[in-house]
Amino acid sequence: MSTDGVAITGFIVLFVLMLLRVPVGMAMGLVGVTGYSYLVGAGPALKLVGQTSMRTVTDYTFGVIPMFILMGAFVSNSGVSRELFRAANTLVGHLKGGLGIATVVACGGFAAICGSSVATAATFANVAYPEMRRYGYPQTFSTGVIAAGGTLGAMLPPSTVLAVYGIITQQDIGKLFAAGVLPGILAMSMYVITVALIGLVRPKFLPAGTPSTWTQRIKGLRDVWAPLVLFAFVIGGLYGGLFTPTEAGGVGAGGAFVLGVLRRRLSRALIRKSLLEATRTSAAVFTVLIGAILFGYFLTITQTPQKVTLFLTSLGLGRYGVLLLIMLMYLVLGCLMDAMAMIILTVPIIFPVIMALGFDPIWFGVIIVMTVELGLIHPPVGMNVFVIKSVVKDVSFTTIFLGVIPFVITDLIRLAILIGFPIIATYLPSRMG
Amino acid sequence: MPQDVKRNFMDRVIDSIELVAAAFVGIVAADIFISVLLRHFFSVSIPDGYDFGRLLLGILIFWGIAATSYRGTHITVDLVWGAVGPRHKRLIDIFATLVLLFVVTVQTTMLFDKVRLTFEDHVLTYDLGLPTWPFFAVAWAGDVSAVVLIAIRTYRLIFHPELVSGKPLGQPNE
Repeated sequence: MSTDGVAITGFIVLFVLMLLRVPVGMAMGLVGVTGYSYLVGAGPALKLVGQTSMRTVTDYTFGVIPMFILMGAFVSNSGVSRELFRAANTLVGHLKGGLGIATVVACGGFAAICGSSVATAATFANVAYPEMRRYGYPQTFSTGVIAAGGTLGAMLPPSTVLAVYGIITQQDIGKLFAAGVLPGILAMSMYVITVALIGLVRPKFLPAGTPSTWTQRIKGLRDVWAPLVLFAFVIGGLYGGLFTPTEAGGVGAGGAFVLGVLRRRLSRALIRKSLLEATRTSAAVFTVLIGAILFGYFLTITQTPQKVTLFLTSLGLGRYGVLLLIMLMYLVLGCLMDAMAMIILTVPIIFPVIMALGFDPIWFGVIIVMTVELGLIHPPVGMNVFVIKSVVKDVSFTTIFLGVIPFVITDLIRLAILIGFPIIATYLPSRMG
Repeated sequence: MPQDVKRNFMDRVIDSIELVAAAFVGIVAADIFISVLLRHFFSVSIPDGYDFGRLLLGILIFWGIAATSYRGTHITVDLVWGAVGPRHKRLIDIFATLVLLFVVTVQTTMLFDKVRLTFEDHVLTYDLGLPTWPFFAVAWAGDVSAVVLIAIRTYRLIFHPELVSGKPLGQPNE
């Protein structure tokens, strides 16, 4: 069989295995090693398994993933989500659509610390949904705004997905985190505007909440200052060159632990729960990373990235035409698999194309993460939608999907803005030197 | 009743394995946190702090993979699985677990080679000159436990599916 034939067969087998629920990382590793073994020989292929596995799990740089996951687990288990929502609610809850705006702001704040979109959606389905329903907000809007707010987790630093993108493409993770700041704030602002517009167009649709006193507002802000200062310290330290990304994660995790214990928010049971959550998620992510690296050898030997680059650049679509094609592919793939799996599987193939077209790799990281995050809320899969459905039992999938439509439109506009004005993503990293 | 006892015993074993891995996450975080504080505030460093960090990371990940494999909480594509009935769900799970067992067994065999080579090459840590092979061996033991646990999961999926815990549809991956 020719090299191209082996590559195509490899991809078909990979997709079949993944559809048959073989863990994504294991499927990639199996296909990668089998393909490499067919083309080069079983001996070298098997040697790669031991070397790659051990090298990946003992790479200090990769420690950034479990550390930021642990930081997120400590912070979220210390009840910050409820405090953030309460603080935002005291400030804007009295406006029309105010609870929706409070949800977006609190989701942004929480996502920035915890770094996970689905965790943010699951948390706020518990925290914000009952409150919005109590004030008569419709189910469509209440679930839609939480699903959309959850997606902020992948963009605002520290984002696990951006860190994995950095590892795969060998880009500076600190710069990638910095690149996500302004687009993340833009995303949050545009969601707030969307909620406000819905409130303006349909005034009875989103009733105003109860106004808060200044004492309540000050108390609300007092509850959230500590985690926000920790976040600012960690990301500021990373941006200012005080820490490496792994160190920033370790400082964040250690700081979140100390704050949680000092503020009496972390009991022994919650500490144990946080450590277990971080272990499970890290093990799942590292399995995919090991698989992706093994699959990468197969891609290299079959020269798949080069061939895909040649094919796409010879289509005559121009650089933005090819970019659009790639983004469409991600939107379709978003119907099939989650963000992490999609990034790890496709970036090694797509990244050389992006480089050949002369796009900025940091900017593309932001664009690709934004695109795959859309997959979290658009039908038919929409992982955030599934998560909300699992928490809020009395709502249908159709209702949630209807609720996210305005936010999907907002996301598409935001993507267009980011493509038109790459400086929004590249400005902060360019200042890091 | 005997099944309950068996399940409780197995659950305790799995819980212990997870706790081992979880303890290492805490130790790695403490190592990094303290190293950074000492460096910035006292201009001193923990000897081999860097090497300990990365070697413990390896241990935590392999032990974590063991627990994750048994719990069935790896990152998977659930599109087909979510759309079929219970009987087909079980068949898909058996197939996926058999593939997982095969892959992790091969990985464990090849990792042993890596541990052996590290032992033979006398690879040492940078500051204290400690041998690194014991760390690799502990990490490898995590992979061995993964093989054992996946084998138990496979057996249970085939003969006692009611004893298997798994990821329900829609559970977050990250």
